[in-house]
Amino acid sequence: MPRELILSLDGREFPVTMVKIDRDKLYGSVEIEAFDEKGREASLRVLAADGKTLIDKGGTSLATVNEKGTSVDRTSLKAVDENGDPIEPVPSSFNGPNVLERATTDEYLSQMLKSVYLLGPGEDGDIKYLLDHLAGDDIFTFPFSYRGGLEYDKAFVLGAENEAFMVVGKPAEFVFLKLNQATVLDSVEEQEVSVDDLDFDLL
Amino acid sequence: MAINISNPKGRDAVVAAEGVAPKRDVRYVDEKGKPVSNLKLLKTDVLHDLPELLKKKKKLEKIADALIKDDPEIDIEQFGMFLTDTSRVYVTSKGIVHLVEEFEVVTNPDGSPRDRRPRVKAAQNMNGEFPIKWTGKYIKKEDAIKRFVFTNKKQLVHVNGLTFDFLFDMAKELDKKKSLLLIRGGEKGNEPIVQNRGGKPYNAFLEGRVKKDSYCLILHLSNMELKKPKDLDAAES
Repeated sequence: MPRELILSLDGREFPVTMVKIDRDKLYGSVEIEAFDEKGREASLRVLAADGKTLIDKGGTSLATVNEKGTSVDRTSLKAVDENGDPIEPVPSSFNGPNVLERATTDEYLSQMLKSVYLLGPGEDGDIKYLLDHLAGDDIFTFPFSYRGGLEYDKAFVLGAENEAFMVVGKPAEFVFLKLNQATVLDSVEEQEVSVDDLDFDLL
Repeated sequence: MAINISNPKGRDAVVAAEGVAPKRDVRYVDEKGKPVSNLKLLKTDVLHDLPELLKKKKKLEKIADALIKDDPEIDIEQFGMFLTDTSRVYVTSKGIVHLVEEFEVVTNPDGSPRDRRPRVKAAQNMNGEFPIKWTGKYIKKEDAIKRFVFTNKKQLVHVNGLTFDFLFDMAKELDKKKSLLLIRGGEKGNEPIVQNRGGKPYNAFLEGRVKKDSYCLILHLSNMELKKPKDLDAAES
């Protein structure tokens, strides 16, 4: 049985199931096959800067280094917030009820996406009350962590096509720009287009 | 990254489209409270992988013996070096190849095959001969978020005083309409946005926000709709 997340709205609690959604599930997937001039199958590898060292999947690793470039044991690291204060770990959102707060469209649009889930009623549950609220323009948010960890992501619950979706991500760092904040450029027969005509399948 | 974009009057300008990072609340420090960073290093290369060792030793048992006696899977000089400026290359059994023919194997959501076709690498259209078109197709923010999943974002940034006015006016117009604007690329202004040659095409929407004398112009990129997969519908019925 899938894990159930408990959402709480206006004092009512709803156990919900989550199904992760991605492009592959909606439109299918595309894999690339490559062949050389003689029809031999070719595969992608990473080439190091020396121009001869070829690296396959799993051939690289991440090392944590200090300011001097010396490798540091990860178990000795401390997680801190932007003020340098230690961070209290957060529990998994599956451990207890998650209170939904109303959110604005702009807050949602400021989110950097990580994952999308389709929400369904939990066993013997009913999410009609939630769906009724989502049928309008209501959006809800709550702090979310799948397994628990150092910080929460931000989850938004919104409705589309009579279904409830949960979109998880983190707020983006947008900057309101003034005249003196210019950047330097990194150099590198009309057809009517309707929003309804947008083709996602072929993307 | 540069973007050549036109405004509602059809005037175009090249400005910057900068990547947007998520807010970072957690930082790691070492025992002295100093910040640390992560670097990629070489763990092993193909010359020391099992298939290569098998070519030399012929049998797994012989490889096992060699591993006990010696370290044939390790290059002490190389392994552990930090990797920078890496690139991706195609290799065959004969080594690196520079000329390959690529095919796309398309699979349906249920896993059944749909198509196999030669891969066509679309050229980027963010900063080309034809500016990104202001289509005039607005969609209310409330409607847009219920229809599209915005998988990536960029922020448009001015590069001089003239382009400040150019982008500020665009942001003001969009802020007033409380809508996202569909933008398209290509000669006819009807193509999705492709940021790099052979890159993923995205349906792109522009959002503008204004605070006093400052603006924020956000490019929302979407390659997915917010909807239930058909397979899930079928499984439930």
